[in-house]
Amino acid sequence: MKTSLLLLAAAIAALGFGCTNLERSRSFANQNVRPAVTAVQVCSNCHAVDGNAESPNFPRLAGQQPAYLVAQLTNFRSHQRSDPEGFFYMYGISQKLSDEQIKGLAEYFSQQVAKPVRGKVDALKMAEGKVIYEQGIPTKEVAPCLACHGPKGEGMATFPRLAYQHQSYLISQLDVFQDNKGRPNTPMTQVAHLLSPREMQAVAAYLQAFPPGP
Amino acid sequence: MLPSQGRFSSSAARAWLTGVGRVARCALLAAVAAMLAAPAAQAVPLFARQTGQNCVSCHAGGQFPELTQYGRLFKLTAYTMGDRVNVPLSAMGVLSVSRVRDTSKSDAPADDFQKNGAPLLAMGSVFTGGKITDNVGAFVQVTYDNYAGRSTTSDGNNGKFLGHTGADNMDFRYADRFIGPTHDVIFGVSLNNGPSVTDPWNSAAAWMQYVPVPTPTSSQFVDGRAPYPAYPASRISGLNTYVYWNQMVYAEVGAYGTANKGLSFMSTGTRDSATSRLAGFNNPYWRVALTRQWGAHNFMVGTSGMVTHLYDNGSDISDPNNLSRIRNTGVDAQYQYILDPHTVTAQIAYMRQQQTYSVNQIANAAPVYFQADGVTPVDPVNPSDTTKTLRAKLSYVYQAKYGASLAYFDRSGRPNTLNQTAGYDSTGLITSNDPNGTNITSTRVTGNLTGNPSTRGFTYEAFWLPVQYVRVGVQYTAYNKFNGASDNYDGFGRNARDNNTLFLYVWGAY
Repeated sequence: MKTSLLLLAAAIAALGFGCTNLERSRSFANQNVRPAVTAVQVCSNCHAVDGNAESPNFPRLAGQQPAYLVAQLTNFRSHQRSDPEGFFYMYGISQKLSDEQIKGLAEYFSQQVAKPVRGKVDALKMAEGKVIYEQGIPTKEVAPCLACHGPKGEGMATFPRLAYQHQSYLISQLDVFQDNKGRPNTPMTQVAHLLSPREMQAVAAYLQAFPPGP
Repeated sequence: MLPSQGRFSSSAARAWLTGVGRVARCALLAAVAAMLAAPAAQAVPLFARQTGQNCVSCHAGGQFPELTQYGRLFKLTAYTMGDRVNVPLSAMGVLSVSRVRDTSKSDAPADDFQKNGAPLLAMGSVFTGGKITDNVGAFVQVTYDNYAGRSTTSDGNNGKFLGHTGADNMDFRYADRFIGPTHDVIFGVSLNNGPSVTDPWNSAAAWMQYVPVPTPTSSQFVDGRAPYPAYPASRISGLNTYVYWNQMVYAEVGAYGTANKGLSFMSTGTRDSATSRLAGFNNPYWRVALTRQWGAHNFMVGTSGMVTHLYDNGSDISDPNNLSRIRNTGVDAQYQYILDPHTVTAQIAYMRQQQTYSVNQIANAAPVYFQADGVTPVDPVNPSDTTKTLRAKLSYVYQAKYGASLAYFDRSGRPNTLNQTAGYDSTGLITSNDPNGTNITSTRVTGNLTGNPSTRGFTYEAFWLPVQYVRVGVQYTAYNKFNGASDNYDGFGRNARDNNTLFLYVWGAY
C-alpha cells in the first residue's frame, strides 16, 4: 500500500510535469491558453461562467460592451484604475495579460446574455431612479443617463452596459467616481459629484431591476 | 459576559491591569515594528505573489486562514491559478504574550505558567509549494517552535528552552476542472498529512483553530488549546480524492496510514514517542458538504468522519493489544456574508468521538485513587468512552481591517477514571508531594479530579490588520468549566475561571 502511494504520487508528478493542459489551464500569462478557457477557469470564480455574477461583490459582465471591458482590463493592467475592488482582485489577474488575451476575454463576456438579478429592489427608489435615468435631474444639470448608456441600459462602446448590474456595485462605483481618485478622467466624475446618496441608490436600484418599459 | 468579572480583589485587579498594560505596549510596539520593517509592495505571501492578488481575495475579510469561495476554488483546483513564481517561499511569524488570570494555586508557578506575561517570539513557519504545473500544486508548511522543549538540569542548562523544527500542514494535489455553461466539476487527488487538511471550509477540524499558540505552559489555556473538534491522529499520511460538483456538492474520501518510509517527511521533526502510528491504511476519512452562493451570502452544511486504528504512543506496534480504535463523526456549517466593506462569518462544528482504548492501556490503567473517605476505591476504568465537542464562532470584519469575534466551546463526556489525574490517596488526602508515602499523587493545575472531560467557555477576540499581511489581536478566553468542574477541578482548589487567559499576538506573513 505504501509503495503504491509512492507510485501514485510519482505518477501524479509525472503527469503534471512537462505537460501543460491548455484546454483547462488557469495560467494568466500563457499566451497559448485561449481566452475562453481563462474566462471559465479563472474569471468565472467571481463573475460566473455566463458573466452573471451571483455575488454583488463582483460586477456582472454578461452582455457588457467589449470596448468597455478592454478599456477596464487595460486600466487595471496599467494601474490607471485603482478602486479597491480593482486593486484587490484585478491587478494580479490583469498584470500578465496580453492585448490579445484582453480582447478575447472582452469578446467572451460581451457575448454572454445578461440575466435579471434575483431579488427585489425598493419600488419607490426604482421609480425615482427611472426618472433620473431617463430624464436626468434638470435642476442640477445632470444629463439623462440613457444619453450615453442607452435606452435599454445596454451601453455603447466605452460607455458600459448598466442594466442588470448589481445595485451595490453601481453605488460603490459612483462613490469611486465622486471620490475622483480610483477612476479618474471619465465623464462620470462630474456626474457623480452632482448626485446625492439617495439619488445614487435610486438610479442603481432601477438599473439592477431594469424592468421592461410599458 | 466575562464570568470572572466582579470577582477580582482590588490588588489582583491592579496586578492584572498592570500586566495587561505591559502586554498591550509590547503588542503595539511589535505592530509598529512590523509595519516599518515590511516593504510597501510585493510584501505578500507565496500564493498572493502567484496570483498577484490581495489577501482578501482568498481570505474572508483578510482573516487568514478562513477562505472565501474564491479561495476555496483556488485550493480545490490544486493552487494552480496564476503562474509559477521564481522563489516559491513565504514565511510567517508570531509574537505573543499570554497571561493566565490566577497563578497562585500552584506548587511551581514557574513550571505551570512558563513565561506568563512575557513577550515571546513563539514560532515561525516557512511555506513552499504553490503552482507546480497546470494541474499540480502544493501547500507545504514547516514550523519552527522556539519553545518546543526544555533541557534537563543535568546538562547544565537548567531547563533552558530549546527550539525545534517540524512538519506542519502539507497538501500535495492534482486537480482538474471541467467547466462550461452547463457543468462545473472539479476533481482532485491529494496526498496530505492529516485528516481535514484538505478541507476548504473553516469549520473543518484542521482549520477552525487559527492563531498559532505558543508551547510554554502560560499558553495552555489560550483558545487554541481549548476544545476544538479534532481528529486523534495528525502528521500521518493520507491519499484523498474529491469532487466538487456545480459548486453545490462536495464529496471526499481518503485513507490514512503512518507517515513513515518514503512519506516520513510528512511527520518530520515529530519525536518518535509522539508520532502517530496507525494500523495499515484501513483508516478511512470521508467528507460531504452542500454549498450555495446566494447574493452576498455563502452557505455550507456538511458532515465528516474517520475511523482511526491508532497505536498507543511509543508502544510496540507488533502487539495488537496496543491498538485503540477511535471513531469520529462530525457535522459542521459555515455562513459567510461578504460585501465590501462588511464581512460576517459564522461557523459551527460538532464532533462526536467514540474511543475504544487498547487492551494494554486498560490493563495498565487500574485507577490508584480513592473516594473522599480514603478507603473506597474509585470506579474501575471504562474500556471505551465518548466525548462530544461543540464549537461555534461568529466574526465581523470591517474594511478587512478591524474585526471582532466571539466563540463558544463545549466539550462533554461521561466520567472515566482512566482520565483521572487527581484524587484522594489512602489517607483521604489530595496531595502533589505524597508526604504519607502512599505513592499516590495528584496533578495540580491540569489535574482532573472527576475523570470528566467537560470543558466549556467563551473566547472574545478583537483584531486589527494594519496591513494585509499583519494581524494584531487580543483574545480573552474565559472558562465556565474545566476538566469536569467549575470549582476545584484539580482537587487543590483551582477553579475553571482561574485559567482565564489573556492572549495578545502579532501575526505576520511575508
